[in-house]
Amino acid sequence: MKTYPQAEVMRRADVNRLYDEKVNNSRRRRQPEGKQPEKKKRQSKIRRPLLERGMGLDLPFLLLVLVLVIIGMIMMFSASYPSAYYKLNDSYFYVRRQLIYAAIGLAAMIGISFFNYNKLHKLAPLLLGFAYLTLVIVLFLPGKVHRWIEIGPINIQASEIMKFALILFFAHWGSLYYDKMQSAKYSVLPGLLVFGSTAALLILEPHYSGIVITAILTVIMLYIGGMQMKYLIIGFVLLIIAVLGAWVTGILTYAMQRMDGWGQALIYTTEEMWQTTWQTRNSLYAIGSGGMFGLGLGQSRQKYLYLPEPQNDFIFAIVCEELGFVGAIIILLIFALLVWRGITLSLRSKDRFGKLLGIGLSSQIGVQVILNILVITDWLPNTGISLPFFSYGGSSLIMLLMQMGLILSISRTANIEKQ
Amino acid sequence: MAKSGKKRSKKGAIQLLRMRTTVLILLILVTGFGAVSVRLAYLQLVQGTYLQEKAVEQQLVDTTVNSKRGTIYDSKGKVLAQSASVWKVVLAPAYLETEEQRVFVSNRLSKILDLNYDDVYKKTKQKTYYVVLKRKIESDEREQILKLCDELNDKFSGLSNVITLFDDYRRYYPYNDLASSVIGFTGSDDQGLEGVEYQYDKYLTGTPGRIITARNANQTDMPFQYEQNVAAKDGNNITLTIDETIQSIAEKYMKKGITDNKVVNRGVCIIMNVNTGAILSMVTVDGYDLNKPYDLSDADLASIRKLPEKKRAAAESAALGAMWRNKAVADTYYPGSVFKMCTASMALNEGVVNENSHFYCSGSVSIYDHTIHCHFHSGHGSQNLFQVIANSCNPAFIDIGSRVGADKFYKYYQAFGFSEPTGIDLPGESDDLFFNEDGSMSVTDLAVASFGQNFSITPIQMVTACSAIANGGKVLQPYVVQKITDVDGNVVKNTDTIVKRQVVSKAVSKKMCDFLERNTTQGGVNNGYISGYRVGGKTGTSEKIGQSQSGYKDYIASFCGFAPADKPEVACLVFFDTPRGASYYGSQVSAPVFVNIMSEVLPYLEVQAEYNNGEKQYVDTIAGSYVGLSVDKAKASAEKDGFTTTVKGSGKKVVAQMPTAATKIPVGGNIVLYTDNDSKKEKVNVPDMVGYSVSTVNSIAASAGLNVSFSGVTSSANAVSTTQSISSGESVNPGTVITVEFKGGTVVHD
Repeated sequence: MKTYPQAEVMRRADVNRLYDEKVNNSRRRRQPEGKQPEKKKRQSKIRRPLLERGMGLDLPFLLLVLVLVIIGMIMMFSASYPSAYYKLNDSYFYVRRQLIYAAIGLAAMIGISFFNYNKLHKLAPLLLGFAYLTLVIVLFLPGKVHRWIEIGPINIQASEIMKFALILFFAHWGSLYYDKMQSAKYSVLPGLLVFGSTAALLILEPHYSGIVITAILTVIMLYIGGMQMKYLIIGFVLLIIAVLGAWVTGILTYAMQRMDGWGQALIYTTEEMWQTTWQTRNSLYAIGSGGMFGLGLGQSRQKYLYLPEPQNDFIFAIVCEELGFVGAIIILLIFALLVWRGITLSLRSKDRFGKLLGIGLSSQIGVQVILNILVITDWLPNTGISLPFFSYGGSSLIMLLMQMGLILSISRTANIEKQ
Repeated sequence: MAKSGKKRSKKGAIQLLRMRTTVLILLILVTGFGAVSVRLAYLQLVQGTYLQEKAVEQQLVDTTVNSKRGTIYDSKGKVLAQSASVWKVVLAPAYLETEEQRVFVSNRLSKILDLNYDDVYKKTKQKTYYVVLKRKIESDEREQILKLCDELNDKFSGLSNVITLFDDYRRYYPYNDLASSVIGFTGSDDQGLEGVEYQYDKYLTGTPGRIITARNANQTDMPFQYEQNVAAKDGNNITLTIDETIQSIAEKYMKKGITDNKVVNRGVCIIMNVNTGAILSMVTVDGYDLNKPYDLSDADLASIRKLPEKKRAAAESAALGAMWRNKAVADTYYPGSVFKMCTASMALNEGVVNENSHFYCSGSVSIYDHTIHCHFHSGHGSQNLFQVIANSCNPAFIDIGSRVGADKFYKYYQAFGFSEPTGIDLPGESDDLFFNEDGSMSVTDLAVASFGQNFSITPIQMVTACSAIANGGKVLQPYVVQKITDVDGNVVKNTDTIVKRQVVSKAVSKKMCDFLERNTTQGGVNNGYISGYRVGGKTGTSEKIGQSQSGYKDYIASFCGFAPADKPEVACLVFFDTPRGASYYGSQVSAPVFVNIMSEVLPYLEVQAEYNNGEKQYVDTIAGSYVGLSVDKAKASAEKDGFTTTVKGSGKKVVAQMPTAATKIPVGGNIVLYTDNDSKKEKVNVPDMVGYSVSTVNSIAASAGLNVSFSGVTSSANAVSTTQSISSGESVNPGTVITVEFKGGTVVHD
């Protein structure tokens, strides 16, 4: 920086170009004239500081994140205080914790935004290995379902780590073999290997929604990574045939019943079904009760123990009840803006790894929002997909905000502001 | 590895990435978010109302707040039926968490509420918040429950909400079986089931209030505003025309009549104000305890126990139905000779007979192939109209009936109100049963109808017709409810006298009153006469043809009369169904009961007594207090009051007297004055005084040194004593008053 005293003035427009020059110069200095640097060593040879401001972080994206955190916090408090009051005798139990997690998460987010995400290149395979380790460890922990690892006060869902590791790994893979992604060996094979092994471990937990999200994320990462369309189409056709087959043979209906009465919340026939579909049915009641403009903030009735754990996966049902269709759509728009901004800013990233990582992380939010709402509206089985920024949960909120920090870090290198 | 050669340029890869990212954005934001928005729009805007209804259905709890049922008063304001606060115990077993709690709660509750432990324990296992344990608990049980709640709160913190007490009401009938068939009772939901309770249910119930509260899934109130209260509006109060005093008098003597005459099928007494139609008393004996309407009498229970098990339930409900039945309005009977007052009235009103008409009775009359006998088989010979009534002569009445003619007879039958319900405000009034529905009658029908046989009417119809004869010819609508007032005392409804029609002229009415009064003094019905009062009436003994059972020839003994005869105020029908005692005649069974009732009711109604000279010596007066006076002064004072005196002992002052002051004894009775305490030990034996004439009883008592209070029929020359209040052989103080009851000796076999 000292070599360029006018940098403060020029920063906004030119730092990127200067940065590139600097990189190219150093590369030229080390390489014999005319010889292209070897592809494999390219990444490792770029020397960058661990922390840097770059072009500064993307303010619109940061604002959207903050808005969602704030709205999410308010709605989480509104949804959780009756059950907290009745069950824990402390209306503020959840919101107090969530505020602390949010504070930690936001601090981590800002911190990570200064972190040079390229340092994660080396870590990607390591992290994937670590994610596998956690998935295996949870299987040996006590409990009915093996999804959580408890470390002191923090509960970490193993699949949360896996989702991030998977995105990171395929971003790493995609940027490393961008030119070989057309080949099945470099796209379909790792995809099947990573997804297949993860799915196998998740079935054991069991955590079906984790499998769905893992599958979608794998497909997205391979798709934007450059996998040939024909493999996607083949996979898609196979999936449709499997679903149709299940439908024709009646396995689908059976499976829907087995999956906590999926799609049957309002047409329960037996006492058992009535009990099983309780949560989904009361979610539908809550959503329907909201109507166009909702009952008003804090006025939900379904949160009074009718909807179990309204602070978790079904929080958006309470949002719909209190804020109505209008409020729900506004929140969906904010989510959509966030996803759009995250993807577009990532596209402007200087390097392929940043692009893939940013798009993957942004898409993940969009996918989770869609799946979560489909679950609470009884279009998908009730299988535990949380709503980003809204659902209660310390570790997932912190991890989510850290991921947002990564996107912000990517935004520092992106020339999205450049006209 | 076939494609390994086809390496894509870096630029190409970036273009592909941009393109695919656009597709991804479209997929996520347009397809994904679009689908989500459509789904939300469908649920919130299209299905919203339905889903909201379902949500509200489970959130709102509509609790009914029972309204307090109105009070039923007698005409003097005495409470006949009243609702008092009780409580309903509701358990919320879902709050119970441990076995220890369940056992503790079931143990204590089963003891307090006197319930089976296992039943309560089973209920504590249910996962609900509303199980009714017991209804209508009293305040002492409530106190114990509240204590238990406190204890639960201390022992297992916060467990007091397991038991909730809800306000409720219970119906109390302070007079138990008094006027049971009129008042009726209520069911478990406070709904009227019989009598006035049933008839005026909508006035008595009031409007239940509602509390609409939002409840959470645990059924406890949500901590805020949506609670809507609609206060309960208490029921209206009802004042009956029934007078508790008159009712008690009537019931007392009716019960005695049932026992004395071994009446099998209950009895009825109706006392009606002839000028207004108000029912002062309506008795069906035996009644039932309104506080325990489902308890059958021991006799019923015994006969049900004899039945095979299968038939018991049906027999039990039949027995209950019979017990609750208001015989005065719901049962029909052949009026018998009592109806002759109607036949005579219609004949007089039509002018087909008059006071001086003569009728001949040979002892029987033939109509086609039937021969109808007069109860006096040798025949009454030639009689005028009064004698016909006094003799209750059937052949003469057949003559009178034929003079009226079948058409006119039925017209009067309708006009007297026999062909329609009287419209009394009580449930279950029966219709009459005439020969043919269109009112046509054969000659035989008319003949027997003239003396009240072979058609059925209700007791209330008979007393209404009798009132019409007594009150100048007006047929009134009888009623038992005088007025209905709301909680604040405002009159909601007041019953006015409804005159339905004029059935006979005033003159005919007056004549009939005269005939019927003379019937009780000069006629065969001297058992209907009451010393000091002018009463009119007619006896009746009707055969229960075709209704007799178990080999008996069964009868209905009735008496229908009114008082005072010169200016009638009340009509009274006394009716015993199937007496199987010494006599079944109306004059022997019902008339004495009528006399007993009226001789207490008339003074209560402040009807002035007018005694003739012969009666005066048997009229009771009140003994004064002579204790503390000197012997001479006491003697003078007692003699001045109209008594004779006997002095016992050698003291100078009176220390005690027999009968004691304020006792009722006849004028001219003997007062024993004691001047020392030793003389009080002297006793006399009570002689037997049953089966003698008035004068004989008087002299027996005098020689024994006792006083007699005369009751019943004493004016008739052939009156005979039937009971004495202290049995013969007992030893009592001289001067003790013994009540002796008399009956007229004449028997009218009508």
